[in-house]
Amino acid sequence: MGIKFKRVEFKYQGFDEKGYLALSNINLTIKPQGEFITLIGETGSGKTTLVQHMNALLTPTSGEMDILGAIINQETIRKKSVKLNPIRQKVGLVFQFPEYQLFEETVEKDIIFGPKNYGVSETEAIQRAKELIKVVGLNESYLSRSPFNLSGGEKKRVSIAGILAMNPDILILDEPTSGLDPMGRDELLKVFFDIHQRLGKTVIIITHDMNTVFHYAKRVLVMRDSYLVYDGDPMNLFTKKNIEHWNLDIPDILKLTYQIEERLDVTFPTRPRNKEALLEMLKELEA
Amino acid sequence: MKNIVIGRYIPGNSFLYKIDPRTKIIALIILMVAVFMLRSLIFMLAGLGLIMLLLAIGKISVKRVYLGLRPLMFLLIFTFSFQILFNTQGTQLIDVTLHYTVLTIPLIIALFFFWMYTKKIIRFKLLYFFFIVSLILSVLIFIDVGYTLNQGALTIYSQGLEMAFFIMLRLIIIVTLSTILTLTTKPTDLNLGLESVLKPLKIFRVNTEEIAMILAISLRYIPTLLDEANKIMLAQASRGVDFSEGKLKDKVMQIVSLLVPMFIISFKRSDELANAMEARSFVPGRNRTRLQTLHWSSLDTVALSIAFVALFTSIALRIFV
Repeated sequence: MGIKFKRVEFKYQGFDEKGYLALSNINLTIKPQGEFITLIGETGSGKTTLVQHMNALLTPTSGEMDILGAIINQETIRKKSVKLNPIRQKVGLVFQFPEYQLFEETVEKDIIFGPKNYGVSETEAIQRAKELIKVVGLNESYLSRSPFNLSGGEKKRVSIAGILAMNPDILILDEPTSGLDPMGRDELLKVFFDIHQRLGKTVIIITHDMNTVFHYAKRVLVMRDSYLVYDGDPMNLFTKKNIEHWNLDIPDILKLTYQIEERLDVTFPTRPRNKEALLEMLKELEA
Repeated sequence: MKNIVIGRYIPGNSFLYKIDPRTKIIALIILMVAVFMLRSLIFMLAGLGLIMLLLAIGKISVKRVYLGLRPLMFLLIFTFSFQILFNTQGTQLIDVTLHYTVLTIPLIIALFFFWMYTKKIIRFKLLYFFFIVSLILSVLIFIDVGYTLNQGALTIYSQGLEMAFFIMLRLIIIVTLSTILTLTTKPTDLNLGLESVLKPLKIFRVNTEEIAMILAISLRYIPTLLDEANKIMLAQASRGVDFSEGKLKDKVMQIVSLLVPMFIISFKRSDELANAMEARSFVPGRNRTRLQTLHWSSLDTVALSIAFVALFTSIALRIFV
C-alpha cells in the first residue's frame, strides 16, 4: 500500500515529436501513514509533475504507479478499469496557484465544494469549513466573503482549507508557503506538521526553503533534470552531499553552526536541526 | 486539448518560412478564391495534389496538418453524409432496399451500444466508427429475415457522391492552407503582415493597427489559455470533479467550476498584459517604429506569381471547361 512509483517516466507531448521528458526512471515508495516528506529541486526539475502523478492527475507515459492499491498505467487508464475519483479524495493535492481552483461566490461554498463532491452532507461540510478556516489562520468572518477579493496569501489559505476539508489520508502541498510572509509561513508549516503528528497522516511538501526542509522533514526528496537524485535523511543531505551541484543551499541554522565553529575554533559532535538544539549545544560548550 | 493546432507556430526553415508574411496572407486569400472557383471534382483532386506538393516542398509533415483537421472531423463527416443522402441529381448509382425487420432493428441497436461501450478502448476511433457504420448498413441491406416493419431505400446518385467528395475536399484544402499560414508564420510577423495588408482600409478610417493587434494577441493567447484550462481542470479534478462522468446537474457544476476561474484568469492576464504594454509606452493608434521591417524579395514575387497563375487557371477552367 501507500504510493509506489515503478520505473515511472513521463513526457509532456509537444508539437515536436520528441516531447518534453519531465520524469525519468522514478522509483519511489511513500508510506500511507506517518511520513513528513519535503520535495526540493530547481524550477523545471519535475517536482510538480511528480506530485501530480501521486493523485493520478497524470498517467505515466511508461512505468506504473500503485496508489493505495490502485494500479495506474497507460493500460488501466485506457481501459478505464480504475476509478480515479476516490484516489483524489484519499490523496489531497493543493496546487501552487489558488486562482486555478477558487470559483464559488463565498469562501465557505468554495471550501465545502470538495467534500460535497465526495458525498459529505452540507451541514457536516459547513461544520468542517468553520473549523478549518481557523486552522489555516483566518477567522469565521472570512467564510461569507468572496474568494476573489482576498489577498494572495489569504487565497492560498482558503485553497488549502478546501483540500483539508476533503479529509485526505495523504496531504500533498505544492509550494504552500510561496507568497506568504515569514510569520504566516511558519504558522502554516506548524499546521501541516501538526496534522502529521496528531493524526499520523503522511504530508508531502514541495518547497524552495531549505530551512523548512531541515527543520521539519523526516525525509527529503531531491529532483534534478527529471531524475530523483536523492531520497533520504535531510541531515545526511545537507552535511554530506555536494549540494551546490544540485543548485541547493545550506539551511541557515547549519550556516550559523559552521560560522560559530570557525570563529570559536570548535567542532560540535552533532549538527543541530533547530535554534533550540543549537542553543543547547552552545550551553553545553560553555559548561 | 493540447492537440489543437490552430494558431500555433512551429519553427522550421523551409522556403515557406522565408516568404514575407504579406505575401503569405495575400496568397492565402488568392488561393482560397481559386479553390472556390473550381467546379468539378477532378480539378479539386488536382488542387489537393498541388497542396500535397506544397507541403512536401515546404517540409511540413502531413500528420501536423491532420492534427489541425481533426477538430473539424465531425463537420466533414456531416457534410459528406448530408450530400450523399440528400443530393438526388445525376444518374442513380446504387439503389438498395433497407430492411427494417424485427431482427435487424434490435441488431442495429445492439451494434450501436456495442460501439458506445467499446469505442473507448479502440485506438483508431475514426476507422472503428466507419467500420461500425458499414456494418450497420450491411445488416440493413443483406439481412431480410423476420417480420418486416418498414422498408426504406438507400439511393446514391452520381452527383451526390461527387458533391460529397467535392465539398469535403474543398474544406480540407482551405483548412490546410490556413494551417500552413499559421504553422509557418510567427505571430509577430503575422501581425506585421496583417497590418500592412489591411492598410488600404485606412482610407475608410478603419484603425488597422488596432485590428491587427487584437488579432495577434488573440492568436497568441489561444495556446496559453488552453494550458490554463488544462491546469484548472487538474485543480478541480483534485477536488473530486469528475469531468468524464456525472449527471446533468453535476455537469453544470463542472462547467461552472471550469469557467469561473478561466474568466478570472483571463481578465487578470489581460490586465497584466495591458500594464506591461503601457509600461513599454504603448499608445493605441500612435505610429510606432519597428524593430523588424518586412522585406520584399524575389522569392515573394515568385510565390505571388504562382498564386496568381493558380487563380487565373481556375478562372479559365470555370469559363472554358
